[in-house]
Amino acid sequence: MAQQVSLGSLQESEREAILQVLYRDREVQNTEAERIRNLKTRLQHLRWKGAKSVSQEYKEKSCARCQQTLGLLLNRGAVCQGCSHRVCSECRVFLRRTRAWKCTVCFEDRNVKIKTGDWFFEERAKKFPTEGKHETAGAKLLQSYQKLSNKISVVPPTPPPLSESQCGGGPARLQELGQFKGFNKSVENLFLSVTTHMKKLSKSQNDMTSDKQHPEMVPRQREGRPERRSQSDTAINVTTRAGTPDILKPLGPESPRRPTSPVLKQEDISSSPVLNTSFSGGLRQGSLISINSTCTEMGNFDKADVTGEIEFAIRYCLRTHSLEICIRACKNLAFGEERKKKCNPYVKTYLLPDRSSQGKRKTGVQKNTVEPTFQETLKYQVELAQLASQQLQVSVWHLGVLTRRVFLGEVIVPLATWDFEDRESQSFRWYPLRAKAEKSEDSLPTNNGELAVRAKLVLPAGPRELQEAPEGTGDEPSQNGQLCLVVLGAKNLPVRSDGTLNSFVKGCLTLPDQQRLRLKSPVLKKQACPQWKHSFIFKGVTPSQLRQSSLELTIWDQATFGVNDRFLGGARLGLKEDLPGGAHTSSQAKLQWQKVLSSPNLWTDMTLILH
Amino acid sequence: MASATDARYGQKESSDQNFDYMFKILIIGNSSVGKTSFLFRYADDSFTPAFVSTVGIDFKVKTIYRNDKRIKLQIWDTAGQERYRTITTAYYRGAMGFILMYDITNEESFNAVQDWSTQIKTYSWDNAQVLLVGNKCDMEDERVVSSERGRQLADHLGFEFFEASAKDNINVKQTFERLVDVICEKMSESLDTADPAVTGAKQGPQLTDQQAPPHQDCAC
Ligand SMILES: Nc1nc2c(ncn2[C@@H]2O[C@H](COP(=O)(O)OP(=O)(O)O)[C@@H](O)[C@H]2O)c(=O)[nH]1
Ligand SMILES: [Mg+2]
Ligand SMILES: [Zn+2]
Ligand SMILES: [Zn+2]
Repeated sequence: MAQQVSLGSLQESEREAILQVLYRDREVQNTEAERIRNLKTRLQHLRWKGAKSVSQEYKEKSCARCQQTLGLLLNRGAVCQGCSHRVCSECRVFLRRTRAWKCTVCFEDRNVKIKTGDWFFEERAKKFPTEGKHETAGAKLLQSYQKLSNKISVVPPTPPPLSESQCGGGPARLQELGQFKGFNKSVENLFLSVTTHMKKLSKSQNDMTSDKQHPEMVPRQREGRPERRSQSDTAINVTTRAGTPDILKPLGPESPRRPTSPVLKQEDISSSPVLNTSFSGGLRQGSLISINSTCTEMGNFDKADVTGEIEFAIRYCLRTHSLEICIRACKNLAFGEERKKKCNPYVKTYLLPDRSSQGKRKTGVQKNTVEPTFQETLKYQVELAQLASQQLQVSVWHLGVLTRRVFLGEVIVPLATWDFEDRESQSFRWYPLRAKAEKSEDSLPTNNGELAVRAKLVLPAGPRELQEAPEGTGDEPSQNGQLCLVVLGAKNLPVRSDGTLNSFVKGCLTLPDQQRLRLKSPVLKKQACPQWKHSFIFKGVTPSQLRQSSLELTIWDQATFGVNDRFLGGARLGLKEDLPGGAHTSSQAKLQWQKVLSSPNLWTDMTLILH
Repeated sequence: MASATDARYGQKESSDQNFDYMFKILIIGNSSVGKTSFLFRYADDSFTPAFVSTVGIDFKVKTIYRNDKRIKLQIWDTAGQERYRTITTAYYRGAMGFILMYDITNEESFNAVQDWSTQIKTYSWDNAQVLLVGNKCDMEDERVVSSERGRQLADHLGFEFFEASAKDNINVKQTFERLVDVICEKMSESLDTADPAVTGAKQGPQLTDQQAPPHQDCAC
């Protein structure tokens, strides 16, 4: 049945037919790669959800999945074979036809392995450990074909490439490939280049049928160029070693990503079922960090009319567990000071929701330009899984005289759906700058959680005395009133990346004469929702004093090496109006505070929103 | 000839993501045993008596519903001719399962089965699932390979065995579905027996079995 077709015409049609197939396959593989990315993102979210709840309440013995407390006798939980975490009975899924179970996350993990085909790649790796995971033969064929083509374009080829016109009739896709000089090499080269990828063919390679033996090889050998094969071998090796850019071209569905570390790979996710990194000293590299500038986030700043764009790239480095934001440039920025036509721009980033000073990164300030070039990389050391819950805020500011800052625009990139594996999304892009969203937390105070307190004004006499106390003459500590405050606990605090905090509360009562009484709670370690239940007692204060005083409660995360404690949030109680740049008093807190002052010797419970 | 081939293959592999997972299957065997016809019968329910030799490799996709899952099959059709061997063997590594085909009216194609099997062993993963298919069983009059010989060889090689006809649409669907099932079984095996027997699996009455996929044949 094997037809005897003239080699020349067969080659051209073969080449076209095979390249067609390779391209069709590439499309299928691209679709598949996208589907797999989506799946893995979803798994990442699930893991993150499991991990997040750790921060809700830290418990020694709780289900790793739902955080339900595990008992000593009943519902003791059992260790999942997949992840070695102890889980409650609700969070187990029994596998069909077996008595084996996995925890919900491991079960999902298993599902993902099925859905992504990773089970197969893992099995296959036992035999072909060097085989790229999703690298398909088609991608390799295209790649090696191209490499070969490139090689031929560099070294004067023998025989010389055929004329361009030979591919003239091909479809547009093929024309695209036609720009590679070697395109018109016959499909034999394609075969040859693939051959070099493989070990010596086994004896079973020998013809099993009556088909003609290697018709495409025959002319070559007759031409007396036995070195051809090794020549193309070398070509491929050289190209691979040199890592020439053509490898990076988006040719195959998977191969272009090979050189970078694929980020959402199964094993990477599974190796960190629970978030386990904390911010470390490493996070300072490559960026300026201003400590103790938290207040400026709530402070005043001017806003310019937002114009222009910013160019940056977002990458995640698996090796160093760091998110890197490469800030390149801005263009068409608004003037920070329109009348003076002045602009000294710099770029600032946060990984929202963390707005603490530790989460801030800044570039240097460029002077007198609305087209600044930064070329700076801002880095965050953070687990990849953690990013699913975060948004990257990139804002541009003008630094004026007396450190007056003018907001020039911002970009917010939700990282949950960011594809760190994709080369496209890793490349530099221009983003239009936007004005702050109406409810932007930068212009309004941030909600950094809630603090529950209980307060009581202790007076030796009854409430009557309070009412009779003369206004404005409150300098009478002899009256010996006491403000008792119990700091119960806080929740929804901006936790560290490991989901915990070593937190403490500072209380500062500022009396009308600006005298300050300061108290501090003990540090509660490793808790996301600390319950200090600690009493602050401010002695020797009178009701009239208190009515003109303010009480500031701030929560801090104790620094590991004692340098700078991290400000988590604060609230202010008191009738005094807001100080610029200070914490705000909500109207509800005002009412509660009034209640405390007007009902001495009675406890008032209140929940303060932390800013 | 290429244009004829192109016309035979549709181009809507589509960007459809509406499936649960994808299996890659390779059809191998000597030239003209009916690989391409078999695939066309399965994917398009069509049959052409004309023989158009496959150039190198080609594929079709078909999404099937099996065991409560939508499985997208990418089925690779290969040229049986030796001159394409370097290309076709490159695809062995990506395949989870194989249909190894011979022609029951062609002794030579049957004799080559052993060698094709060696190819699989050499180029594919260790758990490659293989179905041996004796095609053209509609041509009973010209049969030269008895069913018994086919079955014996399959047993010897450890493959499952079907006789089929692309022309008369006999056992075509069954072949693919059986292959999908054995791949599913292999998959469950590799996922679940990898773990040692689970110790503390106390099966409380509240066991959440409803989360497990409810099908009989494979735990995928
Ligand atoms: N009678 C009969 N002919 C078949 C059958 N399958 C394929 N053929 C014919 O066999 C020839 C080769 O088929 P083809 O599918 O191209 O074989 P391939 O080289 O293995 O792909 C064609 O003429 C087909 O029409 C079958 O089941 N019965
Ligand atoms: Mg064919
Ligand atoms: Zn649980
Ligand atoms: Zn588990």
